[in-house]
Amino acid sequence: MLIASDLAVSAALANGAVPVIQDLNFSLAPGRVLGLVGESGAGKSMIGRAVAQLLPSGFSVTRGELLFDGQDLVRMPLDKRRELLGREIAFVPQEPLSGLNPVLTVGRQIDEHLARLAVGDARTRRARALVMLDAVHLPRGAELLGKYPHQLSGGMCQRVLIAMAFASRPKLLVADEPTTALDVTIQARIVQLIAEMQRHDGTSVIFITHDLRLAAQICDDILVLYAGRPAERGPARRVFSQPAHPYTRCLQLSNPAMSGPRRGLYALPERMPGLSALKTIQGCLFAPRCPSAVGACARALPPFTEVDDGHIAACIRITATAEISVPAPAAANAPKTGTPLLAVEGLSKTFRTARGFFRHDVVAAVRGVSFTLHENEFVGIVGESGSGKSTLARMLCGLDAPSQGTIVIAGRDVSDGSSRSNAHRRAHVQMVFQDPQSALNPRRRVASIVTQALEATGKVDWEERLARAKALLSEIGMPPEAAQRFPAQLSGGQRQRVNIARALCVAPNILVADEIVSGLDVSVQAQLLDLLMWLRRARAFSMLFISHDLSVVRYLCDRVLVMYRGEVVESGPTIQVFATPRHPYTRALLAAMPPDDLSAAWPPQSLEIEAAPLAGKAVEADA
Amino acid sequence: MTRAPPAWLRSARVISGLTIVLLIVLCAALAPLIAPHDPNEQNLVATFLPPAWAKGGDPAFPFGTDSLGRDVLSRLIFGARVAMLVAVLASLGAMLIGAVLAYVAGYFGGRIDALIGRAVDVWMSFPPVILSLILMVGLGVGLRNVILAIILVDWTRFCRVLRGEVLVVARKDYVAAARLLGFSHWRAITREIVPASLPLLITLVSLEMGIDVIVEAILSFVGLSVSAETPAWGQMIADARQYIYDSPWNLIFPILAIFFAVFGFNMLGDGLRRTLDVRLTATQRV
Repeated sequence: MLIASDLAVSAALANGAVPVIQDLNFSLAPGRVLGLVGESGAGKSMIGRAVAQLLPSGFSVTRGELLFDGQDLVRMPLDKRRELLGREIAFVPQEPLSGLNPVLTVGRQIDEHLARLAVGDARTRRARALVMLDAVHLPRGAELLGKYPHQLSGGMCQRVLIAMAFASRPKLLVADEPTTALDVTIQARIVQLIAEMQRHDGTSVIFITHDLRLAAQICDDILVLYAGRPAERGPARRVFSQPAHPYTRCLQLSNPAMSGPRRGLYALPERMPGLSALKTIQGCLFAPRCPSAVGACARALPPFTEVDDGHIAACIRITATAEISVPAPAAANAPKTGTPLLAVEGLSKTFRTARGFFRHDVVAAVRGVSFTLHENEFVGIVGESGSGKSTLARMLCGLDAPSQGTIVIAGRDVSDGSSRSNAHRRAHVQMVFQDPQSALNPRRRVASIVTQALEATGKVDWEERLARAKALLSEIGMPPEAAQRFPAQLSGGQRQRVNIARALCVAPNILVADEIVSGLDVSVQAQLLDLLMWLRRARAFSMLFISHDLSVVRYLCDRVLVMYRGEVVESGPTIQVFATPRHPYTRALLAAMPPDDLSAAWPPQSLEIEAAPLAGKAVEADA
Repeated sequence: MTRAPPAWLRSARVISGLTIVLLIVLCAALAPLIAPHDPNEQNLVATFLPPAWAKGGDPAFPFGTDSLGRDVLSRLIFGARVAMLVAVLASLGAMLIGAVLAYVAGYFGGRIDALIGRAVDVWMSFPPVILSLILMVGLGVGLRNVILAIILVDWTRFCRVLRGEVLVVARKDYVAAARLLGFSHWRAITREIVPASLPLLITLVSLEMGIDVIVEAILSFVGLSVSAETPAWGQMIADARQYIYDSPWNLIFPILAIFFAVFGFNMLGDGLRRTLDVRLTATQRV
């Protein structure tokens, strides 16, 4: 169906052409699913773009061919390729909202697509659209056709796009991280949906993802990419259970396990070489970070070695791969018992949303949440978007005023919002924000950002701040030179470290972390989780760790609160809650995570609970 | 230590705009030194002289003389004083009022924002020229009142445009983080939000200066600006209007002066906008 042979894509940089993709070989048989796995910058999306011939300017295919049904996509005339794309080859994008035109109704966009496919007159197309929406399990199709993309949730948009992609019964579907921007329960449903459509139509699928576990569950074959070069390729189950390339093994070990005892994480040092660094590396691209690298690795690009039938790895020390392991994590300080550091009682937050001039709706984002946090305890809060996690965090930090309830921090009720309460709160609670892009002032240098708390007092001079900044930077594992840099000059992981350092500057007892590792690559995530564990031992603080990623919470937290529609539906010791969930929502959340065990059927046929709708979208007025 | 000049100084627009503006400012500042004649000195035997290069011109009066025999060049140079004074003071004044209200509205949001927003709406619904004429009639003529009138009319422009920018920046997490670290509202605005909106502010001010030159010319054209003994470009146009067929030069020179002043300010503003606006430069670099 699709055969890539010796494909290479190059980017023209200022200092010459750099290979973005090289030595790419794979063949995708009809009705099979190929998973392209790798971290950001590995070139996964570039392959999808090469298929679509949508390479960014400056990038071009320099060698090899990409045969689709015997025709070379690379050298095909433009009009012929246009004929194929959207008809024989369909795409599902990463960001469902940007895949749809915001100013046209869903119905209009489906209609245009069908008209392009030359499906009958307007009435037939409408009937067909309704059938399509029904096939992707979207209820009330007729009503949906008249809606605009922003009125739908991300999962619904993605379903519409999948419906459109399958409208032409394509032979090949390229799905570029189709579930990354969605909640876990929705991810499971979307994956299930793609699998269902794929089986029904016998479509071949290229499934691009950063999640090895997910790929192992749904793909027939996996191709692991590192810095644009295939590291390992083979049957999904084999690659997952017996990885031959050290990179695959490290990826697997850097992801926290969902079952069994808590094991340490393998934190790959540094990060993947960038485009401009690629030229300077001789030999194996992964060697600088590889735990089993020897001198010979740095001399020549490793050839592809066949490990087993159809299982190929680009490594000269395959036998050493299985020996890569991680030490058990050092024991964390046990949480103290006794008077809790933070006690939250009956906390609620309602928002008013305008509806006309005099009327308004009241939306409850958080309702009656009570919990405690002890000294030295890490508590995780899990739930989907719209479950009220972030609102809860903002209330604890004083960014939003609670509508009801009390917050007692270190013995003092701070919910009155007086300036003395706020000062007390500031000394004890600090927040690490989700998006470092927005949380770091782009005009400040790192030294100025991490010591901002000192600036607030207005009494500390620059010399002292710089010294303090360097101390903080060494604590979070960054070189002292970084003090003079601007956030734009840092990598995503480094920005998040700076983000953490700023909150640590005032030495708070409680850190509130809102999704601080989501959106990062697994190797960077593992580095950050390691850092948090290390800080926990060194600094002895408590943390509220908000995340939608259950495996991370399982790794990091002593206790967990499960939030659903603004309420805490279940809480308890993390291991216990995850092993024996009581509430149906917790069970649904856990079932939606791709398990480590490949023998279990996943995704589960029925997810027990309807995903929580976004606050304010479908939650109707309570008052 | 040599440092590369900042990006905004390497833009051709900024340099040419800045050159024009500095030239006019220099004329205004050094007017008594460089003007060949007293601007009000009448020479009734040499009225309506054409420019020196035209037939019948007198090299003593390079740009000719007007209906009362006053030297046009000297009057233009002295007229720059009024134009520049108004441009600088009025635009800074309008910026001050508009920006303060915009920062307050954008940062605090809610009711304060709605209140300021409505005030701006009402204010902007008056036609600006009529409003400034009414203000001038009410306040009386004089340079100070011209400036005041322009400030009172034009602060809304700053408030409107800046508020949007402030609104975006104020919702960034780094502003919230600063508050959590103990920054007061004042400190959060001055240290976190103002630096982010400064490029826009500078750009707006330079564009506003061009507008102020025109508004001052309009007001002095209708005789509602400075008193008759102070030369102003608008006044010169009004004087020359009656003799437009006999002596078109008298009309053309002040018009050219206004044209170049406004052109310079707009060029400067546009160049600054292009080089200082992060979003614009980011897309150009890609």
